[in-house]
Amino acid sequence: MAAQSYGLIATFDTTPDLYHAAEKVRDAGYRNWDCITPFPVHGLDKAMGLKRSIVPRISLAGGLTGFCTGMSLIAWTGGVDYKLIVGGKPYFSPMFAFPVSYELTILFTAFATIGGMFFLNGLPMHYHPVLKYEHIRRGMDDQFFIVIEAKDPRFNLANTKALLEQAGGKNISELEA
Amino acid sequence: MSSTPAATATAGHSAQTTTAATASKALTVGIVGLVLTGLGIAISPDKHGPVMSYLVGFTYCTAIVIGMLMLILIHHIVDASWSVVIRRQYEHFISAFKWLFVLFLPLMIFAWVKPGFVWPWMDLNHELHGHGTVGTDILYQKKAGFLNLGMFTGMTLAFFAGWVWLSSRLRKASFTQDSDGDVKWTFMNRKTAAFGLPIGALTLTFAAIYWVKSLEYHWFSTMYGVWFFANCIRGALAVGVLIMVWLLGRGDYKGILNTNHFYSIGLLSFAFTVFWAYVTFSQYFLIWNANVPEETFWYNLRELDSHGHTTQWWWVGLVILFGHFFLPFLTLLSYRFKVTPHILRRIVSIILVTILIDMCYNILPALKDDHGDSLPFLSLNLVWVLTSVVGVGGVCVWSYLKSFPTTKLIPIRDPRISESLTHHE
Repeated sequence: MAAQSYGLIATFDTTPDLYHAAEKVRDAGYRNWDCITPFPVHGLDKAMGLKRSIVPRISLAGGLTGFCTGMSLIAWTGGVDYKLIVGGKPYFSPMFAFPVSYELTILFTAFATIGGMFFLNGLPMHYHPVLKYEHIRRGMDDQFFIVIEAKDPRFNLANTKALLEQAGGKNISELEA
Repeated sequence: MSSTPAATATAGHSAQTTTAATASKALTVGIVGLVLTGLGIAISPDKHGPVMSYLVGFTYCTAIVIGMLMLILIHHIVDASWSVVIRRQYEHFISAFKWLFVLFLPLMIFAWVKPGFVWPWMDLNHELHGHGTVGTDILYQKKAGFLNLGMFTGMTLAFFAGWVWLSSRLRKASFTQDSDGDVKWTFMNRKTAAFGLPIGALTLTFAAIYWVKSLEYHWFSTMYGVWFFANCIRGALAVGVLIMVWLLGRGDYKGILNTNHFYSIGLLSFAFTVFWAYVTFSQYFLIWNANVPEETFWYNLRELDSHGHTTQWWWVGLVILFGHFFLPFLTLLSYRFKVTPHILRRIVSIILVTILIDMCYNILPALKDDHGDSLPFLSLNLVWVLTSVVGVGGVCVWSYLKSFPTTKLIPIRDPRISESLTHHE
């Protein structure tokens, strides 16, 4: 029984090789693909044509939620639900609600950022098809890989393989899902 | 790294004549500003408004130059790399301290010739609104060891001596390294930073207390020096961005600055925007919450008149809240705004304007009418504030531009220069 294909993987020996190969894959119009490197490679995001992450927007939403939560919590408890005069101050003032709102802004921003990041990158991930690739351990040391997924609309076993070969990829093999 | 030292040197050489021309223009504009301020003092019937406006303009420009000194010291103490290419511009700018000292002399003369004119506590016979004179005021007597003309003069001389000394040490070491490439200058600057930072922190705090806070000597705020420091750094970063954009546009910084330099300085501006807000809010909030008359009167002067109506200063406070915090905060959140030079330039220009408004807010309400109410914000004094800023600022810019052609554009033999040139690339 032929296993379902996850995609194609190719090995590269140096960062410039990987970088230029990534540019070729990007220019060929692929969307569902990735580079695997043992360390961060500056500028690779541009070579891959990656857009900026939307995590900052999730953070902003979290922050605004936190601020509103703090303000409304204190406005509701002190100004509506259980009115008490403390130190001759008004029932509600944004002044004393500010420190709490500020703390909640930071707290909710942190939650949203961490949560948004994990949601978008799919971690923790206990299994990934590339783990079956025999050379993948070198990816923690000194080798670089490009994986193109079969679900990409432009994926075509022969053409994609030719592209990776032409981009200088070695040990090209098909991955089981 | 796309720029070679040779290319930098040629660019510097061709720009030298234009820099010299701009420098003399700056000096002319500065002198015109100072002369206009002087005229304002001469024609004004009570001279109080223009003199206080000059204090605003002077404090504003000095704050920015102090901020630059502090940024250089911080750069050295943390062994920063990205800011090496920008540090040189600050090193040129801090040559202005000696001129700032000269520009403080008129205020010093006022202090000696007409004590109590600018800073009321200098005149023991000064009438306080409703309760006797300064000399009989227990709140003055308890502070008299600190608030007296001798201390004021000595401390002010010490501030400028400290700043001039620190800046000449930093400048000499950095400029000499250009020619001999010796790493010992870097270590020397790091040592200067180690003792320079506490000196800088103390002098700027006491300068803010003597020059600005003591205008209302009844008042207490332990946040005042920190508030001043926050404005110093914000101003210095803002002028740093303006210089970067200017030199990039002129071609000097072409191939030297990349997106990440703008990102980093924008990020620092953002951080100090939050820091300023934190400090300023803390000061307001603690006073609001404690509700002690010796402290609240300071904000009352800036919100209400003696009939309890809100004054112009209340609106100025809101302009500061929104213009000095919310607007820069929300715009600097964006990555794109931070890395787009002409947008970042607009944001820091707003910051520079609002720092000036903040200085007005802290100084000008000390001008009072017969009822003890603060004189309104919108008045002829704003003209004198502007002429003072142009005057003192023009002299500072002239000092910067005069120093600019004397060295390489960037510290080419700094040990971290290549790291800085390839910042995050």
